[in-house]
Amino acid sequence: MDLGKILLLSMLVNNIVVMRFIALCSYIGMTSDLGQSMGMGYAVTFVTVLATAATWPIYHYILLPLDLAFLQILVFILVIASLVQLVEFYLKKNIPGLYAAMGIYLPLITTNCAICAVTFENITNNYNFIQSIVYAIGVSLGYLLAMILLAGIRDRMKTSPVPKFLQGTPILFMATSLIGIAFMGFAGLIK
Amino acid sequence: MKKLYSIFKQGIIFDNPLLMLMIGLCSAIAVTTNVSNGIGMGLAMTFVLLFSEIIISLFRKLIPSMIRIPIFIIVIAAFTTIVDLVMKAYFPDLSKSMGVFIPLIVVNCIIMGRVEAFASKQDLLSVIADALGMGLGYTWVLVGLAAIRELLGNGTFAGIQVMPASYEPILFFILPPGGFFVFSLFISLNIWLKKKMEAAARRKELVSKKEAA
Amino acid sequence: MKKTKLGVILMLYASIACASLAIVYAFTKDSIERQSEIQLQTSLKEIFPQASTFELVEDLTSPEPNIKFEAVYEVKSDAVPLGLAIKASGPSYGGNATLLVGIDLHRSIAGVRIVALNDTPGLGMNASNPTYYVDKVKKVTFLGQFEGKFLTDPFEVKKDVEAITAATITSKSLAKIIKTAGDAAIAYMDQKVMMASMEVEKPNGETSIVAPPTASTGFPIGSSEGKSKEKIPPQAGGK
Repeated sequence: MDLGKILLLSMLVNNIVVMRFIALCSYIGMTSDLGQSMGMGYAVTFVTVLATAATWPIYHYILLPLDLAFLQILVFILVIASLVQLVEFYLKKNIPGLYAAMGIYLPLITTNCAICAVTFENITNNYNFIQSIVYAIGVSLGYLLAMILLAGIRDRMKTSPVPKFLQGTPILFMATSLIGIAFMGFAGLIK
Repeated sequence: MKKLYSIFKQGIIFDNPLLMLMIGLCSAIAVTTNVSNGIGMGLAMTFVLLFSEIIISLFRKLIPSMIRIPIFIIVIAAFTTIVDLVMKAYFPDLSKSMGVFIPLIVVNCIIMGRVEAFASKQDLLSVIADALGMGLGYTWVLVGLAAIRELLGNGTFAGIQVMPASYEPILFFILPPGGFFVFSLFISLNIWLKKKMEAAARRKELVSKKEAA
Repeated sequence: MKKTKLGVILMLYASIACASLAIVYAFTKDSIERQSEIQLQTSLKEIFPQASTFELVEDLTSPEPNIKFEAVYEVKSDAVPLGLAIKASGPSYGGNATLLVGIDLHRSIAGVRIVALNDTPGLGMNASNPTYYVDKVKKVTFLGQFEGKFLTDPFEVKKDVEAITAATITSKSLAKIIKTAGDAAIAYMDQKVMMASMEVEKPNGETSIVAPPTASTGFPIGSSEGKSKEKIPPQAGGK
C-alpha cells in the first residue's frame, strides 16, 4: 500500500477516535480546553512515532526469530511505558521548553489506547518500517484533529441550550457521532 | 457478607465503569456491532480484571510501591495474553472479529484503575466482589449496546434473524457514528436511573427518620 | 542498593509472567496453528465438495504487483483434476483482504471464500456476512454471485458485479482480486493443458478427449463433438 494512501486512510477515513472508538478516555477528558487538547495531541504524536520506531524492530528482529511472538503484548506495553518515562526525564532535563508544552501529558499517555493500538496494528497489517512510521504519524494527526474539533465544539456548547436529558457527557457523544458522519465523507478520497 | 454485596452492587449502576466513571470506553463501543462480540468482550475483560485483581491483592504486601505500576502492567499484560492465546486457539472467529481490541484490554483504564485504587489495598474477597461487579456492569452495557445496534442495524440478535424479513435494516446503527449515538442515549438513561435510585434512597431515609422520631 | 533490589524484584515478576505465558503458549500453540489449517480445509471443501486432495502448485504467481498469491492448490478428486484454488490477497478498504478463489476446469469460478477481511462492519464486512444479500429476492450473497461466473466476463462493479450497498470500494477490490486470480488460473490451466476429460465419439467410431466448452468457443451446433458417449445398455439377452 503506498504511503500517501496509508496517511490519508489513517488520518481521515479511518480516524482513530471518531471512526474507531480508540483513545476515547483522553478525548472526553482533555477536550474541555483547546490548549490542553493540542498539547495532548502533540505528545501523542511524539510518543507514538517513537514507540513505533522502538517496537517494530523488537518484534521483527527479536520476538519473531526466537518464536517469542506470544510475548508481544507484554513486551510492547512495557516498552511503551518505559519509553514514556525516559522521554519525560529527558525533556525535563534537556528541552524544558518542549516539556512545558507537553510534558505534563506524558504520564497520562502510558495507558493511551491509541499508542498501543498503533504498535499492534503495525504488526497485524504487515507494514514495513517506513509504512509503520507513516501509519503512526497519520493516526496521531487524526487524533489531534479529532481533539481540536471536539474542543472547539465544546467551547461553542457552553453557550448553547442543551436538552436536559443530554446534558453532560451524552451531548459530547452526540457531537462525536455527527463529526463521524462528516468524516465518512472522506471515504471518497480513496479511489 | 453485606459489605461484599454492596461492593459488588457498586459497579453495576452507581459506579458503572463505562457510563459513570467514563473509563475503558475504547474497547467497549467498537465491539458492539453484534451481541456475540459484546458478550465475548465482556467475558474477556471480566476474566482479566478478576484474575489481575486477585493476583495483585494476594501479593499486595510484596509489591514495593516504587515499582508498583510496572508490576501491575506485567500482571495485566500476562492475563491479557492468556485471553488472547486461548481465544485464538479455541474461538478463532470471535478473535478475528474483535481484532486489535483483545490486546487493547491491557491498556483498558478500568483494569488499571481498579487495580491501583482497590486491589492493591483490599483483601481477596473484597476484590473478587469488586471485579465481578465491575465486570457485570461493563458486560451489561456492552450487551445492551450490541443488542440495539445489531437489532436495528442488521435485524438479527446474536446472528439469529429476529426482525421480519420486510424490515430494512437501518445501516446507521452498525456504523461508528451510530455507536456513539446509542452510547450517548445509554449514558443519559443511566444518569436518569441513578437519580431515581438516589431519590428513592433519600425517601427511604426520610421515612425511617420520621419513624424513629 | 535499594534500586538494585527493586530492579531484581521487577525482574522476578517479569520472569514469572513470561514463564506462565510460555506454558499457556505451549498448550495453545498447536491449536492456533491448526485453526488456520482447519479454516483453509473447510473453505476448500465448501468450494469443491467432491475434492479429495489439494496439491500445492509452486509455479503460479500473480501478474499484478499488489495482488499476491499466497498459496495455489491443484484440486483433485482421486487423480482427476477438478480445478485450481488460489489464496489471493490484495488491497481493500481497510488494509489487505485475503480470499480463497476456486476456479474449475470449465473456466468459471467454483466459489469464493473469505480468509481475512478488515473492512468497516456494516459496510465492507458484509462481504463475509452470510445473511447479507445483494439480491434479496434470490437470496444471493456478495460472494455467492461469483459462483459459476465465467472469467470472460468483465467483473466490473455496476456492470456485471452487484456491489454491497455503500461499500463500492470493497466490492471493487474483492472483484479485482477474484478476476486476477481467475485469469491467472485459466492461463495456467491452458498452459498445462488441464481440461475436464470428456469422452466423445467421433464419426469414425474412435473416441477422443476434448476440452469442455468455454463461454467464447461454445460448441458448434450440429457437431458430433460435445455429445458424450452414451453407454447403450446391451440388448436383452446379453446379460
